[in-house]
Amino acid sequence: MPHIYIDDKLIEAQPNKTIIEVAFENGIDIPHFCWHPELTVAGNCRMCLVEVGMPKRLPNGTIAVDSSGKPEISYFPKLQIACATPVSEGMHVRTKSEAAINAQEAVMEFLLINHPLDCPICDEAGQCKLQEYAFNHSKGMSRFIETKNHKPKRQSWGPNVLFDAERCISCSRCIRFAKEIAHQDVLTFVQRGDHVTIELFENKEFDSPYSMNVIDICPVGALTSKDFRFKSRVWDMSFNDSICPGCARGCNTKIGVRNNEILRIEPRPNPYVNKFWMCDYGRLTQYDFVNNNRITDPFIKIEGNHQKVTLDEACSEAANRLKQFNPHQIMFVGSAKATNEDNYILAKFAKLLNVKNLDFIKSIDENFQDDLLRCADKTPNSIGAIEVGIKPDTHSVKIEQLSEKIASGDIQALLVMEENFEEYTEIFKNLSELKLLIILGYNHSNLSSLADVILPASTYAEIEGTYVNINRRVQHFTPAVVTSENLRFMGMKMSRLDKFGAFNDRWTQHQLRNSRQSWKIIQKIANNLNAGWSFRNSHDVFLEITHNIASFKGMTYELLDEFQGLVLGKAEKPDPKVRNYESHYMKPN
Amino acid sequence: MFENTTKLLLHDIENLHEIDVYIKNGGYEAFKKALKMTPDEVINEVKTSGLRGRGGACFPTGLKWTFMPKGKEKPKFLAVNGDESEPGSFKDRQIFEFNPHQLIEGILISGYAMGIDAAYIYIRGEYHKWIRLMQKALDDAYESGFIGKRMKEVFGTDYSIEIYIHKGAGAYICGEETSLMTSIEGDRGYPRFKPPFPAQRGLWNMPTTVNNVETIATVPAIIAIGGENYAKIGAQKHPGTLLFGVSGHINKPGVYELPTGTLLTDIIYNHCEGVLGNKKIKAVIPGGSSMPPLRGDEIDGVKMDEESLKEYGTHIGTGGIIVMNEDTDIVKVTLRIAHFYHHESCGQCTPCREGCGWMEKILKRIVAGEGTIKDLDLLVSVANNIEGNTICALGDAAAWPVRGFVTRFREDFEKYVTQSRVFKAPNIVHGRRNTADTLIEAV
Ligand SMILES: Cc1cc2nc3c(=O)[nH]c(=O)nc-3n(C[C@H](O)[C@H](O)[C@H](O)COP(=O)(O)O)c2cc1C
Ligand code: SF4
Ligand code: SF4
Ligand code: SF4
Ligand code: FES
Repeated sequence: MPHIYIDDKLIEAQPNKTIIEVAFENGIDIPHFCWHPELTVAGNCRMCLVEVGMPKRLPNGTIAVDSSGKPEISYFPKLQIACATPVSEGMHVRTKSEAAINAQEAVMEFLLINHPLDCPICDEAGQCKLQEYAFNHSKGMSRFIETKNHKPKRQSWGPNVLFDAERCISCSRCIRFAKEIAHQDVLTFVQRGDHVTIELFENKEFDSPYSMNVIDICPVGALTSKDFRFKSRVWDMSFNDSICPGCARGCNTKIGVRNNEILRIEPRPNPYVNKFWMCDYGRLTQYDFVNNNRITDPFIKIEGNHQKVTLDEACSEAANRLKQFNPHQIMFVGSAKATNEDNYILAKFAKLLNVKNLDFIKSIDENFQDDLLRCADKTPNSIGAIEVGIKPDTHSVKIEQLSEKIASGDIQALLVMEENFEEYTEIFKNLSELKLLIILGYNHSNLSSLADVILPASTYAEIEGTYVNINRRVQHFTPAVVTSENLRFMGMKMSRLDKFGAFNDRWTQHQLRNSRQSWKIIQKIANNLNAGWSFRNSHDVFLEITHNIASFKGMTYELLDEFQGLVLGKAEKPDPKVRNYESHYMKPN
Repeated sequence: MFENTTKLLLHDIENLHEIDVYIKNGGYEAFKKALKMTPDEVINEVKTSGLRGRGGACFPTGLKWTFMPKGKEKPKFLAVNGDESEPGSFKDRQIFEFNPHQLIEGILISGYAMGIDAAYIYIRGEYHKWIRLMQKALDDAYESGFIGKRMKEVFGTDYSIEIYIHKGAGAYICGEETSLMTSIEGDRGYPRFKPPFPAQRGLWNMPTTVNNVETIATVPAIIAIGGENYAKIGAQKHPGTLLFGVSGHINKPGVYELPTGTLLTDIIYNHCEGVLGNKKIKAVIPGGSSMPPLRGDEIDGVKMDEESLKEYGTHIGTGGIIVMNEDTDIVKVTLRIAHFYHHESCGQCTPCREGCGWMEKILKRIVAGEGTIKDLDLLVSVANNIEGNTICALGDAAAWPVRGFVTRFREDFEKYVTQSRVFKAPNIVHGRRNTADTLIEAV
């Protein structure tokens, strides 16, 4: 274990690491553009130049010491790049000496001479590494009075990514990502000197399922999202942590919201799940159903027409009508899109009514799977759903049999939670045979139009709960979008900016959706049937899960957050905590 | 062939480029001699000779060879650098044309010393003729079994090597050793940071040595006459003969093989028969366009070897001497050189990519009569900000001449610029250094 000094701080470093890695792990940030922990080292931006010295060795091999007994350090005449220099025993590094600061300021001046300074119209502004360093690591002015070079703007790289050559600082992060992570080696530098730019190889497109990650790692606004472009300034948005429900990987995400509408989703680092990445599918598809076509009020079908009622009315209607069936005539459909908390309460409700027919739909698409993140299981929580009890027993009706059991009249009442049978269309021809159909759903759909009782369920972006991912990792998440049920919670959680931001940003003025987390609705129905449950929040439900289900033992939301998830059955043996790298991000303060 | 120790590369023998003539004059004997030594003895002989690389950096060749790992676990490569694109340098092509077999023999000896499996001769793309000549020599040597599988039959050795010619595509940067390797591998010629050095990770990540054509071509001479004898030629700390390519305002431009340490004035006035039109000398660039220039009034007594030139703040480089007479417009010369480096910067690392263009733009403005006295300091400052902060030495190569010309010929530049500065709004952006924070700290 080499001992090194960074700015006079003694650090015991891991061997074979570079200065920038050791510094980062020990909380010291060395300015950099091209270095990224998941990519190979390019060493091209020269922003990380630092002074490096080694103890001076005398001809006889011993180390020279000064009058105070400290080893004498001889510094290399040239500055070294921290991202490519491995640490070694006794090394001294100065990141804030005059020479280092002069070099950093020189690099900043160079980077800005031909930069268009589009900040007022640039999507990256507000979370731009170049802006950040211009403030922190540059002189604050330029001596450049010549004409700037111009390069093409708005070049399409593929279906989702747009390139602005003028803003590019040639750090090659995108090229390395395409080659090393996305395995789609289609990007290359062309031209030389200050005319250098990036092009695609002939007849190629950058259409990798992971292409949009280059937008996040690009330190500047050279790469923008066709989907998000010009939708909002980042400082008008609030970003809250979440989990992508697009597939069983459960990529950690941040949800960007303005006016209570999700405008974009971006990955959040988790070394044990998605590193720094997420797929374009998750990024682009997992917000429309939150923003649009929502069921916001409870309805009851009266004489063939849906009538708006209060939640209490809807729940007592559901309870009263459920009572009229034999338990074996009833089936509950849980959901791998719903949290453990919701599925647990549904299973608990089934037990209360002695309903044995309990299952959920698996959504498997082998074509979706790849060897980076995407999983064939396109739901976020199928392992969790089974774990908390959504599974048929040997004699009960399985989901595959449901359609025929409805046709045969064996099943007469159906309660469907957070599911719309999009991939189970054959069931629709028999649904009208049902005597009772209760749904808890997000969006108006073919299913909701048939329902006798419609209950507005909150989506993943509006609730607190847990999912279990493909590697059996339990992950906790909290809301990003405000509903009438989580108003207070969000008020406590939102950043200063959200509360006191611009007029258009006052999310409390936005119309609130009147939806509820599924378990709360089910608790209400159950209490109409004298269950007497009193879970106040998801915490309470999770607490009971950890008591009753062995694999969750020892977990709490706090621990799940602290360790970025815990593996089922291994709450005592969490993965080591690491300092997560974030290249550049919107800083609320 | 090596009796005259002041002419070890360009011998006065007609048609030496033909393999028969070369053999008749003792060619390939040095390789046979080397085969009687162990590889380490060959390396030691080169170390004893004091040979320093002729590619510009003057690195001791024998020492460089010792960086190569011993043993046969990995294939090992030699890249022979004949990219020769530095303005003012045109010496390697003389070897391709007049003595290609000595280069091949040098590759065989160096290859034997380091256990090289394959060697690549990288020749600049514009050298069509010399690529053809070199290929012919290579084909002849293959035919005679001097290279490749038949070496056992011809030389009775278990050692064998393959030699290939790789044609460049016309980029100066591909002469830099690491981008030379990426270019051979078929990628864009991009330098990469060192360490790891080529001897650790070179061509296809295998141990590789990169040497200049002249360096390798000198090796047979060292083996033939012995390292100790070679070390006695020329300047003590930089021994041997050098190919000086002399160009510019000179009566007899050309390539001259002379011992190191020869007086610069001797080269100009005796060997090259003086300055064109008998004019005074304004400036001399001693070693290719990237080296800082000498003023005409300081060349008396300057010896042409690395250690002597260092005292004048410049270097031997590639030995390409450019002579400029008193009529030369130094500012335009500087602009031309700056243009070259701007054009050739690969654009990979920030200081060189942006700085080279910036220096050219400033110089253009000065030449157009729009410069101010402040621009001269700005030029020096930009050059300083590039130097030493880049991935490869092209940054230094661009910075040195600009700084060298501006500081050594400042009066020429001052004639071009006005004293006062027309006000033009600079880019001022907010930075911590110049905003409230610094003010608050100062209070
Ligand atoms: C921009 C640049 C261009 C270079 N071009 C050449 C060249 O054309 N030929 C050459 O031999 N060395 C060239 N060099 C030097 C090589 O990097 C390397 O030092 C040399 O080939 C090593 O050979 P030597 O040890 O025999 O001198 C160049 C270096 C730089 C930085
Ligand atoms: S990339 Fe950054 S500095 Fe450049 S225009 Fe965009 S926000 Fe401004
Ligand atoms: S587009 Fe962005 S990530 Fe790619 S090289 Fe340019 S600045 Fe770097
Ligand atoms: S110094 Fe210039 S030529 Fe060398 S790597 Fe950097 S940009 Fe390319
Ligand atoms: S971060 Fe080290 S050179 Fe870019």
